[in-house]
Order: sequence, then C-alpha cells, then structure tokens
Amino acid sequence: MDVQTKFNYYDILEITPQTPQNEITSSYEKLKLTYSGENPAIYTVFSLEEARQMLSMVEEAFSVLGNKVLRTQYDSQMQVSPQRSKEDLQQQIPQKTYESNKPIAKPDFQKNEKMETEIKDCESWSGEMIGKVRIYKNWTFENLSEVTKISAYYIKGIEKMESQSLPAPVFVRGYVGQLCRILNLNEKKVCDSYMKLYKERLEQK
Amino acid sequence: MNSSVWVIGGGKGGVGKTFVCSSLGVTMSKLNQSVLLIDFDLSGANLHTTFGLPLSERNLRAFFDGSHKLIDLIQPTNIPRLSYIQGFWDDWSLCAISIEQVRRLVDMAKSLGFDIVMLDLGTGAGSSNMELIKLADEKIFVVDPEPTSIEKMYRYIEAFICHNLRENATAESFLQIQNALKEYRKKDSKGLFSFREYMRTATGFSLNHFESLYEQPIRLILNNSRSHQDEDLGRSIQSVCKKYFDISMSYLGAIDYDNSVWRSTRDKAPVLIEKPFTPIAGQFLNIGKQLQQIENQRKNSAKVFKSVV
Repeated sequence: MDVQTKFNYYDILEITPQTPQNEITSSYEKLKLTYSGENPAIYTVFSLEEARQMLSMVEEAFSVLGNKVLRTQYDSQMQVSPQRSKEDLQQQIPQKTYESNKPIAKPDFQKNEKMETEIKDCESWSGEMIGKVRIYKNWTFENLSEVTKISAYYIKGIEKMESQSLPAPVFVRGYVGQLCRILNLNEKKVCDSYMKLYKERLEQK
Repeated sequence: MNSSVWVIGGGKGGVGKTFVCSSLGVTMSKLNQSVLLIDFDLSGANLHTTFGLPLSERNLRAFFDGSHKLIDLIQPTNIPRLSYIQGFWDDWSLCAISIEQVRRLVDMAKSLGFDIVMLDLGTGAGSSNMELIKLADEKIFVVDPEPTSIEKMYRYIEAFICHNLRENATAESFLQIQNALKEYRKKDSKGLFSFREYMRTATGFSLNHFESLYEQPIRLILNNSRSHQDEDLGRSIQSVCKKYFDISMSYLGAIDYDNSVWRSTRDKAPVLIEKPFTPIAGQFLNIGKQLQQIENQRKNSAKVFKSVV
C-alpha cells in the first residue's frame, strides 16, 4: 500500500498523527463493529465483500498503529512529525535510527526459468514456499521488514508457520498479503492457500 | 448579533424530527438561550400540537403570501424564552416554495434577535428543504435505528450533495455528474474509493466544495435508541459518511426510546416539562450543552473577526 496516497493508515482508522495512543483502540473497535457482520449502518452503501475488504484494511492499519513501536517507525517512514500529548511522548520507546530514510529499492535477482514456472504452478503455498521465493528474489528479513513495516520476527514466524509467535489469523492474512505485494505474487491465491494450510495446522494442535 | 439558524432534518418521516426540535428548543431555553422555533413542515405542520397550542391564522403562510412580516407571526409558548412560528395548515397551493423565498425566510429569521432560530423540516428531499439545510449554521439530522431510516438518510445526504453541486455547476456539467452517479449505482462492486473519488475520476471535476462540507460537519442525533448497539450505530454511521461520502458527521448522542414521550404527546405537553426527570431529559441536556459550546466558539470567532476588521 502506498503510504503517500489518501488511504494511509491514519485515514483508515479515522484518526490523525496527533491522536494519543489510547484513543486508537477505541477508534479501531468502533470501526470493527461497523464493518463486521450485518451492521444496519452499512448495508445499503457497502456490499459484504467491500465491508470485508474494509475490515481487513482496518485490521492492517491497527496492527501497525496500535503498536507504539511500529507506529513510530511508520511515522518516520511517512515523515510526519506528530505532536502528541506529553505523557504519551514520555512513554515512547526510543526509536531505532536508520542510516538513511530512503525507501529500500527492490533488490536485483537472477531470473531462473525453473523457479519462475515453479512459482507459477504452485498450488499449495506453505511458509516454506514463501521463504523460498523471498530468498530467490534476494530479500533479507530486515529489508522486507523495513519495507512492509511488519516486524522481522513475524515474517520469520510466517515462514515457519508458527502460530505461537504470530498474532490472530486475520492479522496473519494481512501480513501475507503485504508480503505478496512486495514479492510480486498473486495475492488472493497465495493468501487463500496459505491461510488454509495455516488454519489446518492450528487445528492439529 | 445575528441569530444562529439550526435546521432539524433527516430522511424518513416518523423518526422524531418534530419531537427532537421541540425538546431541543425546551433544552436550549433552559440553558438560558432565547429560542424561536419555526415549523417548516410543508406536508402538514404539527409543532404547535407538541406544545398544546391552538391553530392560528397567523402562520408561516402569511409570510410567504406577503400579508404579514415574519416578526408579527411570532407567538409565545408557556415556556420562558421559547417562542414559535406556526407552520401552514390552511393553504395547499403554496407547497412548492421557491429557493428565493427560502433565502428570504432565513435572512429575516437571522435578523430577529433571538439567540437560536430552529427550523423543523418536513420529510422529503425537496429543493426548499435542501436549500434550508445548506443555509443553516447548524445542520442536525435525526435518524432512528431502523435500517429503512438509515437508508433514507444516506439518500438524503446524496440529495444534499447534489443540491450543493447544482448550485456551482452549469446545467451541462450537472447532467454529467448525474450520469456518473447513475453509473455508480449500477456497479456491483464499487471498489474501495469513496463516492467523491468516483465522481472525480468519472467526471474530471475537482469538486472542491466538498472541503467546505467537510469543515462544517452535519450533526447526528439517534432517536428511539433501545440498546447499546443502537447507540453505537451513530458512530458507525459517522464512519460510513466519512469513508463513503467523504463528508464529516459528528455524532451528538442517542435519545432513548421512552414511553413517556407518546404519553405526553397525547397530553399535548412537552415531555421535558411534563416529566423533567426522565433519562431523555439528561440526554437532551447533554446534546444541548455540546451544541451550546459549538455555538459559543462560533460567536467568539465571529467577534474576533469583527474586531480584526
């Protein structure tokens, strides 16, 4: 998702960069209530499919802005200077400094016909397969994490399909979708297939 | 100092516009404001009934046919600081009020020296209603938790946006906008851009007046709330308006469903006078205080502006 467009995370959650951290949750809960289920407020305006999309955007936005560390990172990425309340600032965890603020460019990689067809024909997308594509396309966990703003810990968790190191499945879906966009994969196909496998694994436990 | 003009509107009939208008009038008068209520229900005036006042020849008709000045039509109620102008009930040919007449009414109403002039609109999204909403300082929409009522309110907002666009557009470009809107309706999946985004991409107009709509939020009151879910509905509507129409709406609060309302309507006395300790009196007080704060801010900024000039 392009952070410069109108649909940035703050717009999605209907808050501003100045909103204190504690109000984000209440805004998130309000939106969650609005766009899930058959809320009478949306039924003539948005279709169920649109509401579902909106909800996943809301989840994605909250997974970043709801977390103080990730929010600070996101702010520095967007280069906004938030002026939040004093106590909020005091609670802030010192921000990791990057050597440059420039967005990371896509790394070059050697095209490999065999790999390309394998990606094209792959029907069952496990975490391992996503990891394979990531290595093939020369992305490190750190670079990927900086571009997507998903923590490297989560990306590792997604590749290992470890539910204990990951948040609720809805968030995981959002993360996988983001990874797909960066890795140039068919988002819907990969997400559906991955989530199916992921949920099967959850049930086994 | 000019009076502030508030309109009480909303799509569907029977959601309690007149009830909210009279109760809010009583509440604001209790908050030490001088209030004038004007019944602008063209389909049948009934504001006087909520106060138990008789029909009178001196009603809004006399203003529109030119036989009386607006100031001569003001009638007192038995509540301090609260007056009203009766709507018309004795003429059926005048139902189509022109936009110029509406503007004249608002201009006159502003000059009467009340703190607040509240207009109770009838149902329907006719151009006279839309023009009144546009001219008002404070637009208050009443909705109830029924899906039909909410749906009608969205249509009402669309009508209001179109009315605004018509003002600033040539006939040709307005037709273009209308066609874009029709196309938009036919689409099954609209994608995630808003109404405004679509209009812009489909017609190529910049549609800047949305910004002014954004700065002046529409206030929302949810009437006949029966549960907490109903109360939350107001916040949901607020979010939909922002995401879909790209206009801002501020939710003032919910008014509970209360049996004493219809009982007191039957007794032809305002419920807030008859039963001042019902929960809804507190809810109205809360809403009234919010509105008064907004009002004070507006008056202060007007003062600052005057002193600068």
